[in-house]
Amino acid sequence: MTTKLRMSTIAAAIGLSLLSTATFAQSYPTKPVKLVLPYSPGGVVDFIGRTLAQHVGDALGQPVVAENRPGAGGIVGTDVVARAQPDGYTLLLMDPAIVINPTLQESVPYDLFKQLDTVSVVSSSPLVLVVSPGLNVKTFAEFVAYGKANPGKLNFASAGIGTTPHLAGELYKQSTGIVATHVPYKGIGASYTDMMSNKVQFAFSSIAGALPFTGDNRVIALATTGETRNDVYADKPTVAESGIKGFSVDLWLAVFAPVGLPADVKTKLNAAIKTALEKPELKAAFAKVGASPRGTTPDVGAAFVKADFEKWKKVIVEGKIKPTN
Amino acid sequence: MDFLTNLATGFSVALTVTNLLYCFAGVLLGTLVGVLPGIGPVTTVAMLLPFSFTLPPESALIMLAGIYYGAQYGGSTTAILVNIPGEASSVVTTIDGHKMALAGRAGPALGIAALGSFFAGCVATVLVVVAAPPLASIALSFGPAEYFSLMVCGLVAAIVLARGSVIKALGMVVLGLMFGLVGSDINSGIRRFTFGFRGLADGIEFVALSMAIYGLADIALNLGKKEENAEVHSKIGRVWPTLADIKYCIPSILRGTTLGSILGVLPGGGALLAAFAAYTLEKKVAKKPRRFGHGDIRGVAAPESANNAGAQTSFIPMLTLGIPSNPTMAMMIGAMMIHGISPGPRVMTERPGLFWGVIVSMWLGNLMLVILNLPLVGMWVKLLRMPYRLLYPSIVVFCCIGTYTVNSNLFDVYVMAFFAVFGYVCVKLDCEPAPLILGFVLGPMMEENLRRSLLISRGDAMVFVQEPISLFFLIVAAGLLLIVALPTIRKTREEAMQE
Amino acid sequence: MLKIKAGKDFWSGVMFLCFAAVGLYIARGYSMGTSGEMGPGYFPVVLGVVLGALGLLLIARAITAGDEPVASATIRPLLLLVVGVVAFGETIEPLGLVLSLILTVAIAALAGRESGPLEIAILSVALAALSVGIFHFALRLPLPIWPAL
Repeated sequence: MTTKLRMSTIAAAIGLSLLSTATFAQSYPTKPVKLVLPYSPGGVVDFIGRTLAQHVGDALGQPVVAENRPGAGGIVGTDVVARAQPDGYTLLLMDPAIVINPTLQESVPYDLFKQLDTVSVVSSSPLVLVVSPGLNVKTFAEFVAYGKANPGKLNFASAGIGTTPHLAGELYKQSTGIVATHVPYKGIGASYTDMMSNKVQFAFSSIAGALPFTGDNRVIALATTGETRNDVYADKPTVAESGIKGFSVDLWLAVFAPVGLPADVKTKLNAAIKTALEKPELKAAFAKVGASPRGTTPDVGAAFVKADFEKWKKVIVEGKIKPTN
Repeated sequence: MDFLTNLATGFSVALTVTNLLYCFAGVLLGTLVGVLPGIGPVTTVAMLLPFSFTLPPESALIMLAGIYYGAQYGGSTTAILVNIPGEASSVVTTIDGHKMALAGRAGPALGIAALGSFFAGCVATVLVVVAAPPLASIALSFGPAEYFSLMVCGLVAAIVLARGSVIKALGMVVLGLMFGLVGSDINSGIRRFTFGFRGLADGIEFVALSMAIYGLADIALNLGKKEENAEVHSKIGRVWPTLADIKYCIPSILRGTTLGSILGVLPGGGALLAAFAAYTLEKKVAKKPRRFGHGDIRGVAAPESANNAGAQTSFIPMLTLGIPSNPTMAMMIGAMMIHGISPGPRVMTERPGLFWGVIVSMWLGNLMLVILNLPLVGMWVKLLRMPYRLLYPSIVVFCCIGTYTVNSNLFDVYVMAFFAVFGYVCVKLDCEPAPLILGFVLGPMMEENLRRSLLISRGDAMVFVQEPISLFFLIVAAGLLLIVALPTIRKTREEAMQE
Repeated sequence: MLKIKAGKDFWSGVMFLCFAAVGLYIARGYSMGTSGEMGPGYFPVVLGVVLGALGLLLIARAITAGDEPVASATIRPLLLLVVGVVAFGETIEPLGLVLSLILTVAIAALAGRESGPLEIAILSVALAALSVGIFHFALRLPLPIWPAL
């Protein structure tokens, strides 16, 4: 099928003779590369994606054009790339939703491991545990104690069913045995008013979402969820070091390509991403939203994505979080 | 006192040549995307966001803000001229605005929209300066229960909007609420009423729905009338509103501005409700309410003032609390954070130049907009001289591109085709679309807040009457419903038809 | 006011009833939940019942109090407009903006019956050019312009 498709593509190219060496990837890239961002403009993925696109473009010598294809919690954009030609001209930047959706949703149109290939994991960013000032807790230990002493009283906010803030909350419940009610919002930002007035008591928020409210303690940051402390909240411990061993939630971002990318193209892309991630301007831009650049090899990246898939699958199954009728 | 120092700081920032230029670029672009149906401020701000990172934060925010309120000015233009509301907040403007255009009074309609907006913009800006912190506290006192009751109030007001039968208007509201349910349910995550289409997972796209009902269905009706030998577009009248027009509108503009300024502070739908609420209020207080819906200039002045005032005051929760009241504001928060500024109460004290500069620029921007828009009125009116057979294909083109570019999703285009047929049927049956649109926009928020309130109260429905603000809205809603229902109960159908 | 003959109110009622029926039929699969944790079915069912009741009320009123006849409808313009929009949807990605718009405008222009072939040709090319200018060059939206190779 592929050869047939290729042939017709080439025939069309010659027939219309508008571009000279369109489909031959001798010296990839010969035309602009499209980076699909499956979320609406304005969020963290959009910002990181556009910053990355600019610097990877510089490293590749061809512009990388970021294109928003929002819809269905990232499924629409992911599906577009999963079905694209594996020629290195259509790439995807995606967050953990790509590994959560296949378990969470009844069906997704793409097969994560058969249709998509990890090019590189580009960034990591922890979530931050924020609590309402009305709780009067100052440390993570106090917060856990409060939860245990007041079972069923706590509410936690999230950015919607199956989002990382929701699953992090479920993971917290599962690892401490604390009972809390999940209150979903459209985006974590919408929950802060209710958190300030103590209608909801805590949330695992993205750093970008929490920053405006934690600086002056209108909500209290207690801990971050990474394996090491985060520079933005350097004085806050991680959840793991505060006593819940192995608790780690990473809001990572990775570049994916349709499966079947020529080896040289993949190598070239991976190298370009690595070069881009080392630029000081990019590092500074990432740091502002609490993300740290990574730049793994494709193999390491794929293993990481697989591990995250398994981790969330366990949380979803144990917490019985599948959408129910 | 501080007030003057603050203003001086603001002017010193906003009046630099660079910032004036960015302000102008912002409002110009805002007007353009406001006029083009489909492409709204959200898309534009998103596209310009990366560019704004290279600017100093003051210039960046001044420009982005300009796009946002500039789009409010532009949005009324298409609503009046071709009956397409570019955004939900200009839906009400179509009701009387387009009727005026058909009667050859497009010029006065556009003129009063610009003047009303300018006045509202100025007043609201002053409000932001003097009363931002107390107004911000309103936003903070709104929890899910308050929002739910506010939505109920808004929906009841939608029935008052309607010209004809109350039962039909109610039906359209409920139908709108049902259309609003399509898509992923945020509480359970399941997809409702998607008929297996993945394109409906995020719900029915507003732009597709409004362009179908207001744009395409309207064209089909007009062409149908042509075939039946009826006149479609009539004479082009005066270009400017007369002094009498303006005088006639002053009370409406004042009421619209007040309502808009207050409702605009509420995150999520506040500015939108403002336009609807202002129209409802006008219709209720007017001496000859019957003229509403048939090209009453007050029906343009009030909602246009309200939505512009709302657009200005929606900056209050963003600037003082760091709470985004709509997607555009969320992006502006993003822009601030990229520049290393955490939006919130401390911006005012830590970055006074930025805070007051942006606010003063809003006033300057409004001035630029009115100067920019008034001469354009003449040009827009000339556009109506274009024969309809040439005009309507252009509208079709803009509907198609507009709908497609919102999400780069073809499915939205088909959704638009479907609702064009639906909209046509509705008009033929005298079922008005405005209540449907309001139900569609408010429905999801209403359900969300209802379920959230009950989730937090652990199922106790008393929250809605225990919270004073919530109780207030419920009483207002009940009162409105009674006013609307009484004539119907009294059974004289003719009376019910009028109101 | 004609009696009994089905008119605007009657058909509005039928339309509301149909939507209510479809809504309730689909919503039967969604759980109602409890008042504390309302299920996804709760709100739709309430709305469906209310809409159905309003539909019945309209029908009843139309039959008892008389009804206004529905004005005659001309299907051709609507049909051609819808075809034009669908044509845009079908062709924009494979053919690009220019060709797709020429086709759409041509179909839409037929809906009006008034334009001659030459005028339609000029109009469609002009609108395509204008759109490329605005959306591609000025606003830089990611739209395909020419057929994809």
